[in-house]
Amino acid sequence: MSESDSKNGMNRRQFLTATGAASAVAGGAGLGLFGYAAGQDPNSFLGWQNQEGASLTINHGPYEVEQPTYEVVGPTSRPDARVEQLFERRGRFRRQHQEVQQGGEWEPAMAAHYARVPEDLELDIIYVNEIMPALMKDMETYGDQFFLAEAWSNAMGAVGPRPPESPPEESDFPRPSRYGGFGGGGVSEPLKMKSPEKTAELIKKVAHMFGSTLVGITELNPDWVYGYPIRGRGFEDVNQPLEIPDHWKYAIVVGTPMSWDALYASPNYSTSSDAYSRSRVIAARMEAFVKSLGYPARSHFPGTSYDLMVPPICVDAGLGEQGRHTIIITPELGCNFRPAVITTNLEMKTDKPIDIGVQDFCKHCKVCAEICPSNAITMGDKEEVRGYRRYKVNASKCNNFWMSNMGSMGCRLCVAACPYTRKSNWLHKAAAKVTMNDPTGLSERALTTMQKGFYPGPEPSKYYIPSLGGENASYREPPWWLKSEDFIDFD
Amino acid sequence: MQIFNSGFFWFAEGILFCLILVGFRAWAQGRGIPLPGWKWAALLAWLLIAGFTIAFVGTSLGENEATAAVRGGLLFGLITVITGVGLWRLLLSGAARTEREEAAG
Repeated sequence: MSESDSKNGMNRRQFLTATGAASAVAGGAGLGLFGYAAGQDPNSFLGWQNQEGASLTINHGPYEVEQPTYEVVGPTSRPDARVEQLFERRGRFRRQHQEVQQGGEWEPAMAAHYARVPEDLELDIIYVNEIMPALMKDMETYGDQFFLAEAWSNAMGAVGPRPPESPPEESDFPRPSRYGGFGGGGVSEPLKMKSPEKTAELIKKVAHMFGSTLVGITELNPDWVYGYPIRGRGFEDVNQPLEIPDHWKYAIVVGTPMSWDALYASPNYSTSSDAYSRSRVIAARMEAFVKSLGYPARSHFPGTSYDLMVPPICVDAGLGEQGRHTIIITPELGCNFRPAVITTNLEMKTDKPIDIGVQDFCKHCKVCAEICPSNAITMGDKEEVRGYRRYKVNASKCNNFWMSNMGSMGCRLCVAACPYTRKSNWLHKAAAKVTMNDPTGLSERALTTMQKGFYPGPEPSKYYIPSLGGENASYREPPWWLKSEDFIDFD
Repeated sequence: MQIFNSGFFWFAEGILFCLILVGFRAWAQGRGIPLPGWKWAALLAWLLIAGFTIAFVGTSLGENEATAAVRGGLLFGLITVITGVGLWRLLLSGAARTEREEAAG
């Protein structure tokens, strides 16, 4: 049949052309629907549910570096948890504030800190005198709206291990069971492991099986251990420096993300409790597992049960880099990652730190600093902190804002708005890959511009409660299951 | 929605993609448009841009990011249209040259 032959008024060429055009329409519609499905797909919320390690969707190998991406610029020192760990200082402030008002004195560590950083005293007083009364008032008026968010947070926070109740030399070591072995493991002395490589492989697999989304291993840098104990209350003098136990040689980092759709509804609907709870259960299980092998282990877990600072340990363990908001940014989860740490002397092959371009990205991006309602995140450059050069967050300002919020309290806006904190679908994975592999920095600028243009949120002042001049705004709409008004008849 | 994560979906997309190329070839031949390799490369690049734009809008809508869908759709859509017009002119200029050569020769 020649091409001019007609069949139903259409020759072969016209038929092929029409088929091609129809295919273009169908293919385009298919891509659109594929995109919609990818955007909706809850499976692209990487999370705790993945037990096979497949959530490590990005190969860290090409980004490994010999030295972490923080800089050492002077003599280093350990942080004084009594005043530099915010919750510890605020607890001490609450206990001593009234006494000081009645003519008493701050304990020496607090007095020295307030003399060095007078702004912290002002902010601590604002927290008690202004923030808390304003929140109490607004809870009366607006609290119902955030009831389910609070209930969800309370429920998730209800499960977790107890902090250690005796010094590391005692509590970290496996206790011989009545059968002669340790903790049900049936061994009476540390098992001889075949190799550090095999041990690391085993530990990582087990961590994933416990539900850890990410896991990394590093040697513990003593600079990250608090200079004074936090968990020493009850069995050590908190005013005595904490000697780092010899068996805190390695750090295993485990952790999970917070529920993504609740996170995007920060500050009022999100909570850290869900990821905190999962991470601390994983850490407790890992502690028990290592002890069952006959080795000492101690878990350091959220919210406040730590003897060390976790973010720099995550950097050392190759899980990510510390961003402008000082939170760890991982290639897989962005900064939606709530880690816990297990210290031990079980010999393991350690991971190398990675460089995924966060330092350069954060220098220009500043999305977190722009959205931060309390201006706690600096728009400026890095500073020296205990001999390390990094961005510094004003923790007192940060805490004053998040203590004023409804629901579970907390903020997490910098986590939600960070360009790295996106669903693990084709679009955001491609964007991350481009950024991580572009040495020119041009894609970083382009993506940051798009981030600001495509994903705007309410003005920072609107996130405050009404009594503090805001509108109880959220970064994104809450998920349907946190809308109290749809489920509860408050009348 | 599970079908869009399946191998079958990409198999079907692959068939449609082949049909687009076959149809394009038939259309170009019908108009006497020569198709050297660079034109095929330009077409594939344009299809990639157009496909990305459509998938971006769909993904943003799926993520409930309406602003991203609209603004991204406009931005990438504009890029798609501009590059599409450029591609169209390139294709037709080849056809015009062929017609002139045929008329002259």
